[in-house]
Amino acid sequence: MSEQHSPRRPYLAPLTASWWLKHRYYRFYMLREATVLPLLFFCGCLIAGFYSLQQGEQSWLNWLSFMAQPWVMALNALTFAASLFHAKTFFELFPRVMPLLPAPLMIAGQWLGTIAVAALLLLLLGGVL
Amino acid sequence: MEKTVEKTLVIQRYNPEQDQRPSQQRYQVPFDNSTSVLDALLYIQQSLDPSLAFRWSCRMAICGSCSVMVNGIPKLGCKTFLREYSGDLLLEPLAHFATEKDLVSDMTLFLQHLQAVKPYLIRQEQSAATTPATKPQPHKQTPKQLAKYRKFSSCINCGLCYAACPQFGLNPEFLGPAALTLAQRYNLDNRDQGKAERMPQLNGKNGVWGCTFVGFCSDVCPKHLDPAAAVNQGKVASATDFVIGLFKP
Ligand code: SF4
Ligand code: FES
Repeated sequence: MSEQHSPRRPYLAPLTASWWLKHRYYRFYMLREATVLPLLFFCGCLIAGFYSLQQGEQSWLNWLSFMAQPWVMALNALTFAASLFHAKTFFELFPRVMPLLPAPLMIAGQWLGTIAVAALLLLLLGGVL
Repeated sequence: MEKTVEKTLVIQRYNPEQDQRPSQQRYQVPFDNSTSVLDALLYIQQSLDPSLAFRWSCRMAICGSCSVMVNGIPKLGCKTFLREYSGDLLLEPLAHFATEKDLVSDMTLFLQHLQAVKPYLIRQEQSAATTPATKPQPHKQTPKQLAKYRKFSSCINCGLCYAACPQFGLNPEFLGPAALTLAQRYNLDNRDQGKAERMPQLNGKNGVWGCTFVGFCSDVCPKHLDPAAAVNQGKVASATDFVIGLFKP
């Protein structure tokens, strides 16, 4: 076949940078991925907290008052909500990847596990404070 | 049957011998409750505009050739009905594939990706064992063994999942949902011994790890295969393969 005389001229539509805005489905996916952004802020806070603890009492107190500011509280509340949302999507996807038990059972199990670990941490850390 | 109600179909046209880029054309099509998108296309071709190009064959969601975008969502034309849409219908060729003409897409990449994962039973001892003296034995399979991969075995190669996959859109070398599902289907088959031959493809950068679990592929699959689940099961297999590889000399 000689390519020169081929009447073929396939047209490929370019994929724009805004591809993910086109669909409800893609927007939901991007939202799920975006939950990592507020989490980064929280991790930064946490690291700063450990650092200030090591620096002595004054810097620890400074960190505590920083964390108590309304905008920091609001951002961290957002982080918490975003993480719960991410957990929900993750827990629903997991049984499809590892179909060990019926999906509703696995989803319930994962939430129970999360609550148990959270309760344990609260108990341990709560005891220290 | 009397067809009095009409619907507007806006169809993307592209003639490689004349057009620089695609354009849109409107058609009025009479329809009733049983008119599929494919029926409407056939009506246009037969009664309004014989130059319209599109693919079809079985008309019953088996052959996978009538794939088009309907209002931006990948659909089988024969399994999608005009009655499901309240307004106009916008028909375009499959996203992420090059358009040959009108609604006809170039599926070469898709077929290459399917081929790349060796989607057939591979037996290691085959040639050695089937001498005239030793008659080939049937390979037995229990219902439980069948159930392991059955869900992933009903793919009709329609390519809808590729049109739904942004990762394939961004990187055409990504093997994509159907091919990776097919690989998983054969890897899970107890009669197959070709997993080791398929894993390098799956482990590679265009294999399972190219998937970020957008999950739209599973939504559009007309056979409800859940390709997203299959691909991510492939990730588990790939990770296991990697860890086992660490301990092998
Ligand atoms: S996995 Fe589903 S959507 Fe993808 S090619 Fe097969 S049948 Fe079509
Ligand atoms: S014509 Fe065969 S799947 Fe639609």
